[in-house]
Amino acid sequence: MEVYEVFRQEKEGEAMVHVGSVDAPDAELAVQYAREVYSRRSEATRLWVVPRAAVMELDDADFLRPPIERTYRMGEGYRVTIAKRRQLQAREAGHGA
Amino acid sequence: MTDDQRIEEFKQRIRDGHRVEAGDWMPDEYRFRVSRFIEMHANSEIMGALPERDWILRAPSLHRKLAVTAKIQDEVGHAQLLYRLVEDLGKPREQILADLIDGKSKFHNVFHYPTRSWGDVGIIAWLVDAAAVISQAALQRSSYGPYARVMRRICWEEAFHLKHGEDIVLTAVGGTPRQKALIQEALERWWEPLMMFYGPPTPAEQDKDLAWGIKSRPNEDLRQEFLGKYVKRIREIGLEIPDPALRFDEASGRWEYSPIDWEKLAQIGRGHGPASQQRLGFRRLSYEETGWVRQAVAGSVAEMVA
Repeated sequence: MEVYEVFRQEKEGEAMVHVGSVDAPDAELAVQYAREVYSRRSEATRLWVVPRAAVMELDDADFLRPPIERTYRMGEGYRVTIAKRRQLQAREAGHGA
Repeated sequence: MTDDQRIEEFKQRIRDGHRVEAGDWMPDEYRFRVSRFIEMHANSEIMGALPERDWILRAPSLHRKLAVTAKIQDEVGHAQLLYRLVEDLGKPREQILADLIDGKSKFHNVFHYPTRSWGDVGIIAWLVDAAAVISQAALQRSSYGPYARVMRRICWEEAFHLKHGEDIVLTAVGGTPRQKALIQEALERWWEPLMMFYGPPTPAEQDKDLAWGIKSRPNEDLRQEFLGKYVKRIREIGLEIPDPALRFDEASGRWEYSPIDWEKLAQIGRGHGPASQQRLGFRRLSYEETGWVRQAVAGSVAEMVA
């Protein structure tokens, strides 16, 4: 028996979402079991059934979220821009008066 | 880092609301407890299907027959989902099923009782499932990630079970006096198991499953919520709850009820309930008689390899 991971697309156009796993001796039965256990009420428009052995899992925090400040490439790194605009608006309004 | 430090760090992560996944390092106690908790839940699903299957052939209409069959399909499906989680925690399927049949693992008290009439089918599908929905909603916040996620699916499927059960009860109660009496009689037999369902009112600080975040709410809180939701709904259709001491105390904001014999619950859990041995016997028979299916399924790989 092998473990197969099951992914499901509920509505057309949505992402494939992991819903769980099934045990099966081969791919043919894995597909049947996946449908029965994870889409018994017609919840899926699409299923992916993948041997767990084929899934590479990464959960190393240093690799996925390196602890280096990189605000130059994140939206929140540019909040100061709003303040700069306000200063210029005020300056221009001052000239006009 | 010492083991003790690692365990303390793990406990802090749980207190901080982090989820544990199947491949994570876990203290032995956590692994043991979460596995046992999920195993008991899975066992309950499969043992719960047994009393219900008796009524497929006895359902009063085709609609009810289809609904009962669909409910049973769901329960067995839930067992499949949950057994898969127990396997990922390190216990093989054969061992899990053997332990159930041999009485080494447990299942919930309500499945140790016989069903006597169609009234039981309605009361169980409505009130036992209602009680389960309340605890299952809380389990969606379990510290064990895979379990919390499976609970979302289970809660979604249970929604129809409740409505189907309530419909059976309302139909019968709104029918002939004899039909109403069928439901009243069933309620009288099921009230005690329902009150025992959440287990003893263990104080939160002594509840280890709560400390590890496997459960997120104490037993008595769940029971109070059940009473708060369902006592009115039961009484307002003309049914009587067989506990003269059951009342809501305004001052404390709590429901009071007759004392519960918790030792009796412990005995039932050990397999001394009115239908425990009969049900386990049937489970054993079913396992033996379907051995050929397991052999055929496992054999298909052996044949390919040979």
